[in-house]
Amino acid sequence: MSLADTAQQIRRRDLRLPLAAILVVVALAAPFIGSRYVTHSLIIALIFMLPAHGLNLLVGYTGLLSLAQAAFFGIGAYAAGLLAVHYGTPFYVNATAAGLLAGACALPLGIPALRLRATSFVMCTLGFVIIGQAIAKNWISVTRGDMGLSAIPKPHFALGPLSFTVSGTTSFYYMALAIGALATLAVWMIVRSPAGRNMIAIRENETLAESLGVPTWRYKLLVFIISAVFAGVGGSLYAHYLTVVSPLTFQMYYSTTMLIIVLGGGAGTISGVVFGSLLFVGLTEALRITPELRMIAYGLCLLVLVFWFKKGFAPVLNRFWDMIGGAK
Amino acid sequence: MTGLPILEISKISKSYGAVKAVNDVSLHVGRGEIAGLIGPNGSGKSTFFDCSTGLQRPDAGTVKLDGQDITGWSLNRIAREGRMLRSFQKTVVFKALDVEENLVIAGQMFTFPSLFSTFGIGRLSKKRISGLRDRARELIKMAGLWDVRHQPAGNLSGGQQKLIQFASMLMPEPKIILLDEPMAGINPKIIERVIETILYANKSLGVSFLVIEHNIDVVTSICQRVVVLDQGKKLVEGLPHDIIADERVREAYLGG
Ligand SMILES: Nc1ncnc2c1ncn2[C@@H]1O[C@H](COP(=O)(O)OP(=O)(O)O)[C@@H](O)[C@H]1O
Ligand SMILES: [Mg+2]
Repeated sequence: MSLADTAQQIRRRDLRLPLAAILVVVALAAPFIGSRYVTHSLIIALIFMLPAHGLNLLVGYTGLLSLAQAAFFGIGAYAAGLLAVHYGTPFYVNATAAGLLAGACALPLGIPALRLRATSFVMCTLGFVIIGQAIAKNWISVTRGDMGLSAIPKPHFALGPLSFTVSGTTSFYYMALAIGALATLAVWMIVRSPAGRNMIAIRENETLAESLGVPTWRYKLLVFIISAVFAGVGGSLYAHYLTVVSPLTFQMYYSTTMLIIVLGGGAGTISGVVFGSLLFVGLTEALRITPELRMIAYGLCLLVLVFWFKKGFAPVLNRFWDMIGGAK
Repeated sequence: MTGLPILEISKISKSYGAVKAVNDVSLHVGRGEIAGLIGPNGSGKSTFFDCSTGLQRPDAGTVKLDGQDITGWSLNRIAREGRMLRSFQKTVVFKALDVEENLVIAGQMFTFPSLFSTFGIGRLSKKRISGLRDRARELIKMAGLWDVRHQPAGNLSGGQQKLIQFASMLMPEPKIILLDEPMAGINPKIIERVIETILYANKSLGVSFLVIEHNIDVVTSICQRVVVLDQGKKLVEGLPHDIIADERVREAYLGG
């Protein structure tokens, strides 16, 4: 550390606050900056960010690999869709019910599954998605089987005499953005709490955590349920945005997409998941315009990731963040 | 009350397949005592620890801690509710986390009244954590780890990791600590330090100890009583000096 270094450090301004402000403005102004298609892509990214946030708590912080996220996403989508179609309930009721039902389903599934060893646990969670799809296909009186639910009403809010329907893409974007921001805040609070530290302890060394009094099994079950709640709420957004839900909502492709967001963005980091959602979902959605190139671009992205960014993009983001903060 | 042993283990047995790792072993540790557990490799010492602390379920036998029957309790419950802490033969620390975080984690479950309360990030939660941090720093100073307290535990030497493991166990104000070969593979300077810390915890904090140790000098200098295991069975029990002189003990170590 020479004098020149120090001087340079002082001269360099902290650009983090301005950049954060710009990002917030861009997020808020996005529908007016980009095309409708960009807004649509961002909405899809925000929808998938929810289950990814939940999965990050499980994979990134607690160290449990799960492929069940699409199952809880599907449960949430059907719950919200059915409520909206049959009872016309307001969106916040549907979203809450979707989250709670997904969480409630995670309890009986988690209890036996979490007794298994890591590899068996992964297989078991894969089974949940397949079973979910089978139920959606065959419980025809409720789910209408392969036809699925259609004409799900656009989300509406009712507060006393006031009522408001989220009809356009732009207004849906703001709703998804608000929910995404809340979910991000919720994850941040969980991770910052002493429970978050215990989760990390479980990830780092389960037996050691156990020997220090941490009830590891109960934490794992609780985090499994919390992650399902996130997925369920995401599913409710999905149902209301697409206005159709079919058994294909329960698909492995969704589970792997959510996993790629977490691992590619940076497991165990919040910014990584936000960035990963934009990159892996927003980008592939945007690339739909060129279907031939889409899968190739996606595949290349994954290869780059595996070879150059083994810990996802989060370390790069962090370094960039420190750099503009004026640190060396 | 003082007459009652802090830990009383009766007739513990544990088999792995055909191997009778521990065979009908009884042992007690008095309040405020430092007891030693020795025996050749493979004689069942670690297995005995595992069965006493809930890591393994014994095939038979009972464990009583401070007058309470804790047989069948899980490892985490014995630590949390029983305040009986243990170390592992193969040193383990949270390698990716710094020294201070290692100790804070060790104290958390003893400071927060329930699992749900650990999700709080309010003022009360912050106050509890800062209390833990203060305690952690005191112990870090005592263990001589002050200069490395912000380094990832995995970057430190084996001896330093043993000290972290030891300091972590002191976070929850334990009643008794079971140490599995605390001196193995560390240099004499750190051995001194570990002995000092054990004696400090024993004298000033009133912690009882059961220590598995191969270093016979250490055993004779800190233990008040020694139990010898051989092939899963209790061979003898007595004062350190008598044990060293005992023919059967010599035979067990030499004969293997
Ligand atoms: N998890 C296990 N599975 C099978 N056998 C084991 C296991 N743990 C210990 N053993 C066996 O039990 C016996 C006692 O081992 P251990 O308790 O580690 O002895 P010590 O700690 O005295 O060296 C050994 O024969 C060992 O091979
Ligand atoms: Mg051993």
